[in-house]
Amino acid sequence: MRQRLPFIFSEILPPEARFFAEKSPPPLAGARTARLFALLALLTALIFTLAPAPLLAQSSVRPPGNAVTFPDAPEPGPANTLGTRSDAEIWDMIRGGSPRDPGVIFAPTPEGALMTTTGQQWRVLRERYIRKYAGWAPLAVIVLIALFHLIRGPMRLKEGRSGKTLPRFTLTARVAHWFMAVVFILLAISGLVILLGRVLIAPYLGREVNSALTSAAMQGHNLFGPLFILALFWLFVKFVAGNFFHPHDLKWIFRLGGLFGHHVSSRKFNFGEKTWFWLVVLVGAVIAASGVLMLFPWLTDDLRFLQLATVLHVLGAVLLISIAIGHIYVGTIGMEGSLDSMLKGEVDESWAREHHDIWYEQITGKKAHPETPKMKQEGAP
Amino acid sequence: MSDKKENRAQIAIEKFIEFTDGEVASFFEACVHCGECAEACHFHLNTGGAKYTPTWKLEPMRRSYERHLAPLSGIKRALGLVPPEVDEAMLTEWEPLVYDSCNMCARCTLVCPMGLDIAGTIRKMREGFSAAGFVPEGLERAADFVRKTTSPMGITLKALTAQVRRVEKETGIEIHIDKRGAEYMATFSSMEVMGYPEVIAAYARLFKRAGVDWTISSKAYEATNVGVQIGSGPFAREIVARVVEAAEELEVKYLISPECGHAYGAVRWAGPNMMGRQFKFEVVHIVELLDRLRREGRIPVGRRDGRRMTLHDPCQIIRRGGLLREPRRLMADSCADFVEMKGAGVTNFCCGGGGGVSANPRAHDLQDAAFDSKQAQLDAIEGLEAVVVPCANCRSVFEDGLEAREMELEVLGLSELLADTLADLEAEDA
Amino acid sequence: MSFLAFVEGPLFYIAAAVFLLGAAWKILGLIRLGRRPDLAPPRGSAAWGFVRGNLRHFVPRGIFTRRTWLHIVAGYSFHIALAVLVFFGAFHIAFIERLTGLSWQALPRWGFIVAAEIAFAGLIVLWVRRISDPVMRQITRAEDHASTILTFLVMLTGCLALQESHASLRAIHMLFVDIWLLYFPFSRLMHAFTFVLSRGHSGATYGRKGINL
Repeated sequence: MRQRLPFIFSEILPPEARFFAEKSPPPLAGARTARLFALLALLTALIFTLAPAPLLAQSSVRPPGNAVTFPDAPEPGPANTLGTRSDAEIWDMIRGGSPRDPGVIFAPTPEGALMTTTGQQWRVLRERYIRKYAGWAPLAVIVLIALFHLIRGPMRLKEGRSGKTLPRFTLTARVAHWFMAVVFILLAISGLVILLGRVLIAPYLGREVNSALTSAAMQGHNLFGPLFILALFWLFVKFVAGNFFHPHDLKWIFRLGGLFGHHVSSRKFNFGEKTWFWLVVLVGAVIAASGVLMLFPWLTDDLRFLQLATVLHVLGAVLLISIAIGHIYVGTIGMEGSLDSMLKGEVDESWAREHHDIWYEQITGKKAHPETPKMKQEGAP
Repeated sequence: MSDKKENRAQIAIEKFIEFTDGEVASFFEACVHCGECAEACHFHLNTGGAKYTPTWKLEPMRRSYERHLAPLSGIKRALGLVPPEVDEAMLTEWEPLVYDSCNMCARCTLVCPMGLDIAGTIRKMREGFSAAGFVPEGLERAADFVRKTTSPMGITLKALTAQVRRVEKETGIEIHIDKRGAEYMATFSSMEVMGYPEVIAAYARLFKRAGVDWTISSKAYEATNVGVQIGSGPFAREIVARVVEAAEELEVKYLISPECGHAYGAVRWAGPNMMGRQFKFEVVHIVELLDRLRREGRIPVGRRDGRRMTLHDPCQIIRRGGLLREPRRLMADSCADFVEMKGAGVTNFCCGGGGGVSANPRAHDLQDAAFDSKQAQLDAIEGLEAVVVPCANCRSVFEDGLEAREMELEVLGLSELLADTLADLEAEDA
Repeated sequence: MSFLAFVEGPLFYIAAAVFLLGAAWKILGLIRLGRRPDLAPPRGSAAWGFVRGNLRHFVPRGIFTRRTWLHIVAGYSFHIALAVLVFFGAFHIAFIERLTGLSWQALPRWGFIVAAEIAFAGLIVLWVRRISDPVMRQITRAEDHASTILTFLVMLTGCLALQESHASLRAIHMLFVDIWLLYFPFSRLMHAFTFVLSRGHSGATYGRKGINL
């Protein structure tokens, strides 16, 4: 399975399909660009790993007899039409190849084919896999956080609050953040209703209720979608400074962000925050681009883009929603003093010393931990 | 004990209600708590304190209004939705906000989308605070001086006369005291008599040149009104009445209000309402009078001062007094290198010491912090040599602020500047 | 009677009556509180000041805009777009026509959507500003949140019903409209009317002194 991934990357996807993923990062110079592209590649890989995996998993298992194993597959062809040929062979001819051949799955219309079947593949993927499993990811994150909170407990300020504060975010930065937060939550709720209503609402509250809710959710989702693009631009402009990766971040990774008790130094943003920022920006860009394609489907004549868009949209969204739950936890009850930065724009000095010691030293000129040797001071990233 | 406490809060509440007319009520109703006023307030801008948000300073009065007076408050009260009663603890907490951190400069009105006159409302609100006895010690002391000597700085008639005689000697111009039937009666602020007697000399020189027949009253030489600053209507009326009665007794046609902000508002705009009648004379501000005389050609344009100068806009004369163009016309004729500050005119920053703040030592640090805005305005003008401050109170605040910041800048009044441009003409005459 | 008929019928009429009578009562009450006569000889006209003050405060002064641009942009976006939505949405015009017989040109659907986007963006910015700034947290009261969130819900339920496929969605929108109308005279929402008085009073006070703040 795994070995085939690079192949899928380079060969299967038409060049156009990689278009927005490569174009989305802003033009940046030298190493930053390289870093960005590396991250982007990683991210794209992540998404594509998740996306076609179930599909390929299916196609790699050779089914006995009838080639099509999906229960939702088309009816068998008419009997006795071509004498000695099996139904499967007839359908392969109509499709222009075997359904297990990626060339058939991803090609616009295979050579000599009478019909395309990608819509069917897409429908199966969406109905049988994404709709079925996507909701588990956020739920799993909630369970994990609840367990963490019960076992490890919230991170308290070791020295308590000092009463003195440091400015951390400007008002426009805070407003940009909360604007994104509100739009994100509205989109997440409406999006989950659209995605999971058939599974979670219809069986319990009835189809009529689900129909009304889905209609409402779709209108709301379409309405707030463009605001997400606005929010994303704003958030990017306001927070990109200080969010570029730095070799220093490796320490944070090795110590797992200090989640289990080790002290980690960091600048204005630690590795976790930086990763979250770039995930929001890049995955958000993918979600935004695919969303635009769904709002204005006439932008392309190739249905495969629309199919890909829905898949990327939902996978990206589920990923961001899951991590957002963690973000909300750490920002509120998970870590004492964190919320101040977004409610007041200022943080307590103790908080700054404990969680962002290098940043503290940069802006105050004082040592964060007087008892330890002086931290290596470098220019701002 | 607790009875007395309730009474103090009760007194304040009754005054709040008494002074909440349709104007103030419409302010309370229209405020949407958008926080823009904070962006205009030099106390907020220079300290970052959220409690210095102007509309927040009105909270006790707003609360009393919503509890007792607001239309439809009956329905809210039945549902338990009216705010709690104002108590003594709240008044104690708000006293510094109302007295120390508001110059009643009205800059916040400019930025307010609803156009709330917060400065005017603070003035009315202080009625409640002063009636209930919540007044800063510094203002109380100034009031005591006024009761004893009519001057908040304790200047007696004898001290004034001595200053006048000294000026006469210096200028060689006779100054009449209590001259019945003179056309103009001049009043001064204590700060001018004590700290800047050159102002009296400037009057003498300018009025001699213009041929103005003027006098000073021995009964009412003091123009400032600490009653207005404390917010005590009866006391303010008493002080105004003394001036009005003296002017009418001397049968003057005009009363000259000096280069002092709140003194002008007190006698020009509030005076007739406190007295409940119009005066038998007209109140003119000295800047207004000089501008009038200049335009009539009675004060010639002398030799312009060549220094690079700017003009401070005292709030109570410009923004709340209405004399926007007059000082500028005089400046244009009197100095060769006049530069406006950024935000000059209606939107200019207050010096930080108005509205009784400079008389209140407790507020000293706040006043000094507020002066940062003024300093930034002055620093922005390259090569600035002098600043004209047509208000004696602002002038002393400037001098304190500049000294604390070790800034070399001459501070002078507008009448002095004008009188000095006549020096050459005076020499010719001699 | 169906729920939709109830919220579009009796409940709507009650809410509209409370809205009109309550607002009128409040405005008249404010006027009745009066204004002290001013005996000081005027330098300018108070009446003209009333008008000028009302107009002047529509235009933000440049010197403050570096610090207040966000509020100005969001405030104007929200209010203008909301007015467009309310008075030029095709459904609203149809509703008004049913009540009064009056009708006028409606916005095309795309125009309505664009206005809705702008109105939502403005309102969300105005609201998040309330929760994320020490000054705003200091002066914001529960009723400010209530007014904002209620207005948001009216707009949201309206837009959720945009597909016009379910009577229930329309009924929910109307229910929130009714609640909004009932709440209006008792709340900060009254600023839609009282701003004329507050700007006018200040305008008159300062207009009399010959100055336009």
